[in-house]
Amino acid sequence: MMKTFPRPQRRSQLLVALAAALVTLPVALAYVDDALSFAYEAANPYAQQGYVIREDAWGGDLGAGEKKAVTAQLFRGNSYIFFLATDVDGASLRVNIYDSAGTLAESKSWQRGRFAYAEIKPKATGTYYAIVEVLSSPEERTGWALVYGFRK
Amino acid sequence: MIRLFSTLLLAAVMASTATAQRPAKQIDLSQFPADTVDNVVVPVPSEVFAVLDKLGNPNWREQLGPASSYPATANRAKDALLLGTVIADGFIAVEAEDSERVKEIGRNVLTLAEAINVRKSVVARSNSIVEKADAREWNAVRREFDGALQDVNQAMVELNDEQLAQLVSLGGWLRGTQALTSIVQEKYSRERAELLHQPLLIDYFDRQLAAMSPRLRRNPLVDEVAKALGQIGPLVKKSPDSDIPAETVTEINRITGRIVEMIRAKAG
Repeated sequence: MMKTFPRPQRRSQLLVALAAALVTLPVALAYVDDALSFAYEAANPYAQQGYVIREDAWGGDLGAGEKKAVTAQLFRGNSYIFFLATDVDGASLRVNIYDSAGTLAESKSWQRGRFAYAEIKPKATGTYYAIVEVLSSPEERTGWALVYGFRK
Repeated sequence: MIRLFSTLLLAAVMASTATAQRPAKQIDLSQFPADTVDNVVVPVPSEVFAVLDKLGNPNWREQLGPASSYPATANRAKDALLLGTVIADGFIAVEAEDSERVKEIGRNVLTLAEAINVRKSVVARSNSIVEKADAREWNAVRREFDGALQDVNQAMVELNDEQLAQLVSLGGWLRGTQALTSIVQEKYSRERAELLHQPLLIDYFDRQLAAMSPRLRRNPLVDEVAKALGQIGPLVKKSPDSDIPAETVTEINRITGRIVEMIRAKAG
């Protein structure tokens, strides 16, 4: 399992972001809150590499094998990173980025334990889809949270 | 032999697992009709400005125009739209690296936030904007303006004023698009014009306006905003690989310029 912790000086910023994000989550479920804290935990090291991690987030719950699409307006010239996480031990999930024609558009993606990641440097400005999927889970429903960041 | 067979079997199992985990190269997006409507990631203004940074050195001071304060009115829909345009001005002032204007805009944000009952949630941001503008920490100021927009949004959602929050976002988008089209017009290129390819956002704002309460929809300014979006939509809803021509950029600039002027017109 990947485990990263924010540096002390970043922790307050992280907590503010987390607090802000919790209120804006479309689905207000406690387990999504936990998933979100994991997603920010995974994203935080990238903030130190110059990525701006958005203070709002998206979340919900899915059964194993279910997918959900999150639609995004992305701009050519920026690099984007997406972090997906769950609080369910033993669950496996993934996130992949597709363009408006449904073609896989990410430059890299991975999944490790409760985390999944995808990055994209869009070839064109326009609409993209982050497809969130729970591959397997010991639970009937698996809470997930998605955050993203960008840099020029 | 048994060992070799076990190794091969393990490799075969791992290979099939890897294949199963590999994402499809092509998917049918019509599988997700309802989900995609509900879950839209609206970009923060910094995302657009980050790209603009790379496209030469536009005359941001000219985009900013003369200093002006926008007092609150009794019309909350107008104040919400106005607040959005003022926050967008903040980004332009950051690009112009004009710390005095940034500070003035920060104070104006506070006044308008008070008019729509969310002053408390942006006080810290406003103070931070002033402090960071003094230190000329422009990236940090940008982040604070992004944050101010999100704080206002959040506070309004908490006050069950989500529709006003949507008007703040719309006001910001309209003013941002006005400035963006001016910059693109200044020195037209396909790359610059491509930034306007935002069909998803226009559809999203359209849906939000259509779902607003009858009282808000009857507001003449909100009606004008809906009409403006109705005009801009067909202009940018091109296929991703088509160019947005210079004349379209000029037309979008005219539409957004007119609506921003209406939003900023003094009462009476």
